[in-house]
Amino acid sequence: MDLDTAVKLKIYETIALTTHAPTAKDVAAALQLPLADVEAAFESLHNRRLLVPEPGDPSRIRMAPPFSGTETPFRARVQGKLYFANCAWDAFGIPAALHQDAFIEAADGFSDEPIRLEIKDGQPVSQPCVIHFAVPAAKWWEDIIFT
Amino acid sequence: MLLFRSEETVKKWCIAHAIPLRPLIDLNQLWYLAMTWYGNRLTADSRRPGPDEMAGIFAQIGLAGPFWDPKADQW
Repeated sequence: MDLDTAVKLKIYETIALTTHAPTAKDVAAALQLPLADVEAAFESLHNRRLLVPEPGDPSRIRMAPPFSGTETPFRARVQGKLYFANCAWDAFGIPAALHQDAFIEAADGFSDEPIRLEIKDGQPVSQPCVIHFAVPAAKWWEDIIFT
Repeated sequence: MLLFRSEETVKKWCIAHAIPLRPLIDLNQLWYLAMTWYGNRLTADSRRPGPDEMAGIFAQIGLAGPFWDPKADQW
């Protein structure tokens, strides 16, 4: 297994287990690798659009999509664990990635009215709700944190 | 990408932020996108879809046109 793949799997394994994104130092310790190698892998994964580092601190993870490294208004409760997602798509992406049912807690983007969604038996439970894409697909990664 | 209770609150949000109304999708379309994007994300082989794959995924749920084209320069 190449270094990037080993680092990617350790990142996702850690988040799935703990709900928290590891730092480059955490990953280096877990894999018994030099910190510089793990930091290089973080950069490579970012270039492949699989990871977004925290602005100003490339050793910390802001996004390992669908997971967020920071608290956000998009929450997914899966088997008693609370995960944070980056957006509406990623809020559904967490149960998709974990292959588990989930409750999604979010809010209406305008009114802030709480919206609680459910993935049950591998499908979304129907209720009045729409998702708005403000940014065209070609522009998503120009400012992925805004997207 | 934000959630809204209805198209009405989307329109109010667009006016408040001076952003044009863009495409809306429903929960079933969102779940399809989530499964295709992230269903194998925790595996060694996972990767982000390329531009042509993305366009194909969008087309599967009726999302077509320049807005959904990752290679478009106008929309």
